[in-house]
Amino acid sequence: MNRTLRIAALAALASSFFAGAQESRDYFKVGVDLELSGDLGTDGNFAKRGYEMWANAVNEAGGILIGKKKYKVQLAYADNQSVPAQGASAAERLITQEHVDFMFGPYSSGVTIATSPVVEKYKVPMIGGPESPNVWLRKPQYTFGTIPPVNFTGAGTVDTLMALSPKPQSAVVVGLNDPFSKSVATSFKDAFEKRGVKVLKFDIVPPGQDLTPLLSVMKGMEPDIVAYGGHDEDLIKFVKSMHQINFSPKGLIMHYGITGPAFFEALKADANQIFGAAVWTETTKTSSKILWPNSEAFAKAGMKAYGVPVDYDIAGCAAGGIAFQVALQRINAAPPLDEAKREQLMKALEAVDVDTFYGHIKFATEGEFFHSNTAMKILTLQIQNGQAKVVGPPSDMEAKPQYPMVPWDKR
Amino acid sequence: MLIPLTKDRRLLVFLGIFLAVLLLPFVVHDAFFIRLFTEAAMWIGLSLAFDVLAGYTGYLNFGHSAFFGIGAYTTGLLMMKSNWPFYLALPVSALTATLAALIIGFPTLRLRGAYFSIATWALARAILQGIMMIPYAGGNEGIQLKAYLNPLFFFYVMSGLVGVTFFVLWFLLERAPFGLKLKAIREDQESAKALGLNPTKLKMQAFIMSAIPTALIGGIFAYWVTFIDPASTVGDLISDQALVMVVFGGMGTLIGPVIGAIIIFAFKTLFWAYLSAYEVLYLIILGAVIAISVVFLPDGVLGAAFRKGTGRHAKGSIHVTTPSPEKEA
Amino acid sequence: MVLLPQALVDGIMLGATYIIIAIAFSMVYGVMHVIDFAVGEWIMLGSFTGFYLTLWIKIDPLYLLPLVFIIFSTLGYFLQPVVQRVLSGHRGNPLLMALVFTFGLSMMIRGLAQTIFGFYSHSIPSYFSTRSFFIKEGSFFITISAVRLTGLIYAVVITGALNYLLKFTDFGLGVRALAMNKDAAALMGVNNRSTNKFLFGIYTGISAMTGVLIGTILSISANMGGDYTIFAFFVVVLAGMGYLAGVPAAAFVLGLIQSMFLVYLDPGFTLVAVFGLLYLILVISPTGLFRKGWG
Repeated sequence: MNRTLRIAALAALASSFFAGAQESRDYFKVGVDLELSGDLGTDGNFAKRGYEMWANAVNEAGGILIGKKKYKVQLAYADNQSVPAQGASAAERLITQEHVDFMFGPYSSGVTIATSPVVEKYKVPMIGGPESPNVWLRKPQYTFGTIPPVNFTGAGTVDTLMALSPKPQSAVVVGLNDPFSKSVATSFKDAFEKRGVKVLKFDIVPPGQDLTPLLSVMKGMEPDIVAYGGHDEDLIKFVKSMHQINFSPKGLIMHYGITGPAFFEALKADANQIFGAAVWTETTKTSSKILWPNSEAFAKAGMKAYGVPVDYDIAGCAAGGIAFQVALQRINAAPPLDEAKREQLMKALEAVDVDTFYGHIKFATEGEFFHSNTAMKILTLQIQNGQAKVVGPPSDMEAKPQYPMVPWDKR
Repeated sequence: MLIPLTKDRRLLVFLGIFLAVLLLPFVVHDAFFIRLFTEAAMWIGLSLAFDVLAGYTGYLNFGHSAFFGIGAYTTGLLMMKSNWPFYLALPVSALTATLAALIIGFPTLRLRGAYFSIATWALARAILQGIMMIPYAGGNEGIQLKAYLNPLFFFYVMSGLVGVTFFVLWFLLERAPFGLKLKAIREDQESAKALGLNPTKLKMQAFIMSAIPTALIGGIFAYWVTFIDPASTVGDLISDQALVMVVFGGMGTLIGPVIGAIIIFAFKTLFWAYLSAYEVLYLIILGAVIAISVVFLPDGVLGAAFRKGTGRHAKGSIHVTTPSPEKEA
Repeated sequence: MVLLPQALVDGIMLGATYIIIAIAFSMVYGVMHVIDFAVGEWIMLGSFTGFYLTLWIKIDPLYLLPLVFIIFSTLGYFLQPVVQRVLSGHRGNPLLMALVFTFGLSMMIRGLAQTIFGFYSHSIPSYFSTRSFFIKEGSFFITISAVRLTGLIYAVVITGALNYLLKFTDFGLGVRALAMNKDAAALMGVNNRSTNKFLFGIYTGISAMTGVLIGTILSISANMGGDYTIFAFFVVVLAGMGYLAGVPAAAFVLGLIQSMFLVYLDPGFTLVAVFGLLYLILVISPTGLFRKGWG
């Protein structure tokens, strides 16, 4: 039985080996290597929406205009299951079996790190949405990101806090022990220390803990600001725990993630006055000639398609598609793209310098933020009356920051 | 040495299959398929190693992935931080795994049944949490190795290792008395002692035999995937799937885990490639497979197909009287 | 030093939640000798049920607890024979196989939950989540959250109810008899099968109720089960498998360890300590702290 199995498998594979010829086609095939299941399934599925919106919008406009002809796009999905090894495998499948022209990449930093060497080997440019700094430290040649890493944005939000009065003097910082949350917490701590705020306590905790005892200690220290790095569910737990022990600092700041739908729904009135960061919101002032004229148009389209407000990660992913568009037009590349053309595409991406509904896209070509989109403006948000409003920097202020925070029991 | 002729013939068959596998890359040139085969080999190896302790000796090591992680991190750190070449770093993984098995084995192997399983599970988790806290090991950010993307290289290294493991285990467990001795301990440790066997020594040997291939595979994995972090190496992923493959395939044999690994892996890959949208169902199906296997397929697929058990169901159900958590003189 | 009372109180509050999880788990183990790997999943299912019921019926979830109990105890009652079949199967070490079986079951339930409930996390709103008591005595201060206090009261009530059930009812007598000697109990007229079914039902019912409570205190998500399974294992092993009286003490020990690490030591090592301790206990004294566990 064992033997027959092996022979059958051999035969099946031998036949499929012949099916690998390069076909000609008049549309772009885009690989999507995403976390559609597993620990990061939530975020991965959100990112998927961004890519879908882009593909739909492009196709509705008839396709990408290359020279005189328009070429539509088709997405080919592969689930990396939130596992690094699987991310690499998915990329290889998309590239060698589906013959994709370029790719949209994973949301998780670990998976992106494992996938980068594969896309680099085959010279397939990939734009993804990872947010931790360590992705870019290796200078991945063929991987780009439209969402700036957290250590790039953390400092900006602290600047806004420093402009508040009375000026914050002390802070406590907590972060979960995963690459994203830890970088958030570390960037907050560094920024606070640089600005002369005393960091009374800095802790990195394993995920899955009930942090009440830690919070009780912090309550006793009476800090002005509490800064926290974590993911959606942890943010909810954190606020709830603070409310339960009636720990109301003057200000509470988290990072990306306060704008997720689950956050409002779960916390209701408690979500108000919490600070966060974003590089994009529905009301960000942008203007563009490509696909969506401004943030509002994109937000409307997203609401229409999914029934819930769109978030910065969805916007960032869609913007990645726009970056590809612009680069493809620059090198006048029609599908299917061979290796030489793909290499040109990569160089074209490095040269992209364009205004989109999401903001300005320009990938850094050196330094610690290599191939990350450092042209984005860092916005500090605050939730006011259930809505996320931009409260900093002053040039983009939509509402004045509310500080200090109304204590939990008075809401 | 009692070796009926039939077993000898099977050995030739296995050698033939192994040779065919080694010649595979001459027929299949697609890098992706080579990768798939490499991963399949990996799971076969992991299942075999798991079964040495689980099927033959009767100890379910729920912390099996700890050895995988130890191997991966040993190789990874030596290559990254101390710039050792792969062929030197990999054998060290075997050493660290042996050391770990010795240190962990002595206190833990005294436990029985479920207690052993929970203890190993707890220890693996403690190790995972520990790695997350060690900056030298990269903490939870993981470590990234220099990429060497030669699919053929990894295919041969992995298949070679797994093949050698299979044949060594075949010799030790099916032809030499060692396998019978382990089974004796599995069935009744006290009586085995009466026969003059030394359970402690035998269990430790099995434990080490289970650890070494796993760690070596972990080391290869590290270089192959170029990025490792605690969750993907020491986490539950590795032990869970190995458990399913072995239980489903047939415990206490060598072919059982191989079949189980191939079927489950093939199923998983096909599901992933063509039913990606329903990936979540995979978890449900995997769980159902285990549950159903335990209830309806006590000897796994192999047992059901050949009606050849490990003699387990001949034992009858009144086997467990009061298994004490530890029983060591 | 100022922090000590708060740390202790928090430890106790944390421990209270663990007691309820562990007690039912230990009971089932004591009688059926089944280690249910899916205990966290029952909790998760209960919490989601509580969440949706609160949404539809709009009553404070704490009043919904009896309803959740009834739903899940019925479920457990009918599920039990399947588990029983695994236990009496013809294979070596049925206990281990039962562990594997429940392990597969937990995977299935988790997958189903992810499919049905999606990946979002939620919180169950309750009147009690927003209140707290603040006590200040000189330089010592303690804040006690109302909802956790409720958890403590709940733990006391359930423990008391179970204690009454076991010591003062015929059913309880039957349960204890079965735990001591299955065959002799059967000879004395205790119906093994139906007692087991009821017991398992009680266990799933209690676990689900606890899920609702956890949903009000913390948050819920399809993946939450795993953490609670860990804590249940820890408490039960520490107490001694099947030894109910040891559970409260063991639960508090777990709560205190976590609390101490979060307050006084490096919080990053909290789980290392928890798992390391679990391992050490098993190796040194598998029958638990009080050496009264089964075995």
